[in-house]
Amino acid sequence: MRVRLDPRTKLYMIFVVSLLVMLSATTLFLWIVRIIITLIPISLLAAEKRYASAFLFSMAYVLALVMTFCLITDESSGFFKSFLTGYSGIVVQFMPALITAWYVVRTTKIGEFISAMQKMHVPDGITISLAVVMRFFPTIKEEYSFICDAMKMRGLVLGGGSIIRMVEYRMIPLLFSCVNIGDELSAAAITRGLGGKVKRTSAETLRFSVFDRILVVCFSALVFVFIYAKYFKV
Amino acid sequence: MEDIIKIERVSFKYKGSGAKLLDDVSLNVKKGETILLTGESGSGKTTLIRLINGLIPHYYAGELEGKVTVDGRDIAKTELYELAGVVGTVFQNPRSQFFSVDTDGEIVFGAENIGLEPSEIIRRKNAVIKDMHIEKLMDRSLFELSGGEKQLIACASVSALLPGIILLDEPSSNLDLVAIEKLRKQIELWKSRGITIIISEHRLWYLRDLIDRVILMKRGALNYTWTGDEFFDKSDSEIRELRLRPLSVRNYFDEVIADKSSGLSADVHGIKERVVLRDFYFSYKKKPHLIFRRHFTEKDECLSLNISRLILPKGAVIGVIGKNGTGKSTFLRCVCGLENGCKGVIECDDIVYKGRERLDLSYMVMQDVNHQLFTDSVTEEVLLSMKVKDRAFCISLLDRLGILKCKDKHPMALSGGQKQRVAIASAIAANAKLMLFDEPTSGLDYLHMQRVGELLKKLADFGNTILVATHDPEFIDMCCDYVLCIDNGTVSYMKRVNE
Repeated sequence: MRVRLDPRTKLYMIFVVSLLVMLSATTLFLWIVRIIITLIPISLLAAEKRYASAFLFSMAYVLALVMTFCLITDESSGFFKSFLTGYSGIVVQFMPALITAWYVVRTTKIGEFISAMQKMHVPDGITISLAVVMRFFPTIKEEYSFICDAMKMRGLVLGGGSIIRMVEYRMIPLLFSCVNIGDELSAAAITRGLGGKVKRTSAETLRFSVFDRILVVCFSALVFVFIYAKYFKV
Repeated sequence: MEDIIKIERVSFKYKGSGAKLLDDVSLNVKKGETILLTGESGSGKTTLIRLINGLIPHYYAGELEGKVTVDGRDIAKTELYELAGVVGTVFQNPRSQFFSVDTDGEIVFGAENIGLEPSEIIRRKNAVIKDMHIEKLMDRSLFELSGGEKQLIACASVSALLPGIILLDEPSSNLDLVAIEKLRKQIELWKSRGITIIISEHRLWYLRDLIDRVILMKRGALNYTWTGDEFFDKSDSEIRELRLRPLSVRNYFDEVIADKSSGLSADVHGIKERVVLRDFYFSYKKKPHLIFRRHFTEKDECLSLNISRLILPKGAVIGVIGKNGTGKSTFLRCVCGLENGCKGVIECDDIVYKGRERLDLSYMVMQDVNHQLFTDSVTEEVLLSMKVKDRAFCISLLDRLGILKCKDKHPMALSGGQKQRVAIASAIAANAKLMLFDEPTSGLDYLHMQRVGELLKKLADFGNTILVATHDPEFIDMCCDYVLCIDNGTVSYMKRVNE
């Protein structure tokens, strides 16, 4: 089943997930709320048929949870233990937000996104800059793979043993091609009327579906429960 | 008929550049006319196009004299977005002219910008899709499309704005023959609707019978003007005199079908010095594996590349042809060892090259050379490729390739042709015997194409084997000894190019 969410729901989801995983969970109940909220983007990913990423992420998450609860105690010390603490901390705290953002970028069309931002009365300047950022992610990936090929061909993958070189040889061609593409891209966009004084319209009609409503209610309820349990329950 | 475009005594030079790119140019274009602009690189074709679509002076700043009027509007006093529904432009590079990431969003992009009603936008979108027969390209990511398909979407996006004037700036540069045919159909369609069309182009053969007027530009001025019929009736030698690419080309692709029965040509048996490729199998579909990646064999299904044995003549220039998406670039990538999954073996001079060793034997000059220039000076760039840094050899190499005078410059500051030469110099410095070129002539004018051709021949004379993927039949005639046709990942035929 493919779920098409409204971009506004998705933005709300990013906000809620980041908020809840960043606030520290101190009791078991809070942990449960947090796990529930992490399950939502995972199941959305699965609904998009991205089973591999959903599965890999869940495994990493479960592993990190198990370690947090079983292995690491307050008396943990030593290099290995602190390494594990670091790992599980990062996975448990940052990965849910990261995976949500990734899901949103992968499934939102730029047209939808612009239309949603306009409905929320965000100024065009901000909307268009963000849209260009979304457009540029895949471009950077594409250009980067070309550059890696070229490096492989010349045996430069390790930069001749110098880390500075390794970074330099990747960044310089990448910057040049991104600047060129950006320049041509804006020329092509403004000849098609981008940035005019006319109010931009949108061919995408956004509708808040039942699913959107359910999710928004769910998220709000979870945030409410979490905050109530954390700060107000004696 | 009224003049829809009026250019009156225009001179222009870009900010920070010394030379005038246009010098006292005047041109009137009638409504519904189809004009071809041709001439060497740097003769001012693109500048002229930018004057008409308003990018000059609104996006590219510089000193502009004279007056440009388009559809009754003085360009200098008209904002760019007001021109969006009047002048549409299709640019050269399909990769850098789309704003959306999905095809549907891209087609309606312009129409949304000028604030049309959503119902009207949808109506126009559907009309354009129907006109151009691009139903199967809808609802796809633009990053998955081939260059030709992207260019079609760019045409569709311009069409949806319903402009009265359409400008095309070297639109065929990155396209294969099939895509060029589609582009021609699109231009025919626009012409039949009475749209005024101006095309700047080096590749001329596909425009036969479409053009009303041909303008040859030279050093920023309109040098000659012919009617379309006059121009396309010229003889080959006249065209060569004008330093233009030929008006008609041999169709190597029709031969693909005609020659299929004969399979591998008998020519190959006469070859004494050979480079042998064995067991090149590859597919982009990953095989299921647990820890070690399994390699492809002949028995695998849906192989993108399936060559069990191929004999290449050593020291020859071999043109690799085939439609886009039939495995040409996969072939090149596998030969030079960029695809890890392909375990092909190359035999050259009685030495067998496997796996990573193929990377030492071969070197690919990519279509966009910007990706393979890493350092901050030309000399450094060449030395980087040498195992033993030999400055004297490096200097002689640069001299041989005619780029000695820019030896201390930053590679990115060079012209396209010079960059390509720097990449070739690094290939020689890396001691590559097998040199692969991925479309080295896309977007080049006749003179530069000829230079590349001569260079490839020279490299072959030094004993290097050259594989060059190309969509330019005129280029094959110019410098290739053999053509190798790849179809569906297999070798369809290889044969000598008859003089």
